[in-house]
Amino acid sequence: MIRDLLCMTAPVRERFDIPCHEIGPKTLHLGAAFVAGLHGDEINGIFILSRLADFLNCVEAGKYPELRLLRRVLIIPAVNVLGVNLRTRTWPFDKSDLNRMFPGSTTGETTQRIAYALLEATKRADYRIDIHTASADFEEIPQVRLHGPSDAERKTALFGLPAVMERSLSPVFSTTLLASWRVWPGQSFVLRVGQAGLVQLDHCQRVFRSLVAFLGRVGILEGVDIAAEDEEVCCFNKASAFRVYAEKAGTFVSDRQVGRWVGSGQELGYIYDSFSGNVIEKVISPVAGLLTGVRRHPLLFEGDLILRVNKKG
Amino acid sequence: MSETASMKIETFFTIEMPYRERMEIRRAVFTGGDGPRASVVAGIHGDELEGLYVCHLLAAWLERLQRTSPGGLLGSVELYPATNTLGLDTLTRGIPVFDTDLNRSFPGSIDGPLPERLAAALMTALSGSALVVDIHASNIYLREIPQVRINQEFDDLLVPLARHMNLDLIWLHGAATVLETTVAHSLNSCGTPCLVAEMGVGMRITPEYCSQLMAGILNVWRNIGILADDVEIPEICHTPMIADDSNVHYLNAQTSGLFVPAKSHWTNVRRGEILGTIVSPFRGETLSEVRSPVDGVLFTLREYPLVYEGSLMARVMSRKGGMS
Repeated sequence: MIRDLLCMTAPVRERFDIPCHEIGPKTLHLGAAFVAGLHGDEINGIFILSRLADFLNCVEAGKYPELRLLRRVLIIPAVNVLGVNLRTRTWPFDKSDLNRMFPGSTTGETTQRIAYALLEATKRADYRIDIHTASADFEEIPQVRLHGPSDAERKTALFGLPAVMERSLSPVFSTTLLASWRVWPGQSFVLRVGQAGLVQLDHCQRVFRSLVAFLGRVGILEGVDIAAEDEEVCCFNKASAFRVYAEKAGTFVSDRQVGRWVGSGQELGYIYDSFSGNVIEKVISPVAGLLTGVRRHPLLFEGDLILRVNKKG
Repeated sequence: MSETASMKIETFFTIEMPYRERMEIRRAVFTGGDGPRASVVAGIHGDELEGLYVCHLLAAWLERLQRTSPGGLLGSVELYPATNTLGLDTLTRGIPVFDTDLNRSFPGSIDGPLPERLAAALMTALSGSALVVDIHASNIYLREIPQVRINQEFDDLLVPLARHMNLDLIWLHGAATVLETTVAHSLNSCGTPCLVAEMGVGMRITPEYCSQLMAGILNVWRNIGILADDVEIPEICHTPMIADDSNVHYLNAQTSGLFVPAKSHWTNVRRGEILGTIVSPFRGETLSEVRSPVDGVLFTLREYPLVYEGSLMARVMSRKGGMS
């Protein structure tokens, strides 16, 4: 079933709404809520969730007879609908970040009203998942991000994605959807997948499979065969992350892919002088580990993050 | 580069850009005696220009003081008029390229990307000041009366200072509504008093507000020993009203359309009085009437007419009495 999460007026165009998929048995309690597109330029998440909705609707229609949806699932592929259509990260009218508007309000600004409606629709789910990407400048390995997680969340976070990254709670995140979810019983996760502005098919397929496996593991989708490759997960705490920042500005070029293991001292890219073309810095891995993030926009300011390697163990 | 013996403009932060240029952020430093140091920060948001003009007025006043009464400056003054230089250069509120609000980046980090480094450099530069005034100009949507905004966590220290600022409102915010990543919160948390002045509207200057705030800043400086007691400053003639969560009423649009104000900004209004209407640009229809919920002062008024459902159009404050 498709329903509107929220319907609002607009100054000079038709009313706009935020549609969502509600799939599965009409039980009172929501099994899982999936959200993407709080930022309008994060297309990987939108694509993944629209495909997941199609898949679960097919399950409901009996096209996969071995599978059965036991609990109700809510899927919102894009919250910032206008941002998606206009290719902007923020809410286009006032440039506010929807993921800094939680818990929202019924009487406040437009974005606070959207935030409130989203939180009301999702907060009582047993499992809540918010999918993001990095910016358009940086590519992240598909990962689960945990911010000050509970033990139960640490255990459940083994979605089958290549990495689980744990971070401490920061004041920066106090007005995010994740922070508001955490007030409620249940488990909450943020996934970060690739970079903004793109559909990265490999990443999307991997995350799609992991979400299906996740629904199987937590007992929402019956009959899922969990592939062995989806069990290989590396858990990294903050101390395991080694970041390389640009000591010099210029043009950064690298053909390395995220998700590959690299050696200590291995060359991973070059910084060129943007005017003379000289190589001014070889970018090397500071440790042996998994390449979990790489800069994709070539133009570097001094101090920009170039890459991140996470050391195992 | 030294301009005079006791005034210089210097670069306090620099960073290399991708193609041959360096971004440099400058401050004006006025040095008098060995007394305390005061700092004024403006342009953290690249679409807010009121603070730049206040810095100009203060610089002009200090230059005149040095000519006419060189002993009048007992301490030193640092003016940071354009902290988000790239944003100001490009009519952008945040830091261009990074799409980051500088005032959500504090306390920053010395080895991160530009916003983090700049925030850290500002924290280092401003820490230890006897007083920092961080000047903001609302945004392009709303016009504000000259006011100081204070986190209630720090009101014991800051309200007595704010009383001397010659502004019309002191707005005390509950701790839960304050963003911890602002320059003011970061400075106040580490013991450097920082007042946030807010006035006018984005992308414009309001000369009378700027002159009013300049006089207030000079008044505070004289009170805390930056300026000598016998230095003459412009007349102080504004007494602040007090606002907090209990007496500020928000008027958000019930529907979308074109907001047309019926009252002037900063006027007294009566309960039930029409403050404006939301009309349809397509038909001769009034979609919504905006009425004051209380007797009070219309201290925030929408400047940008288009509204979405939920857009803030006005704030009205019921009077709690002035501070004397």
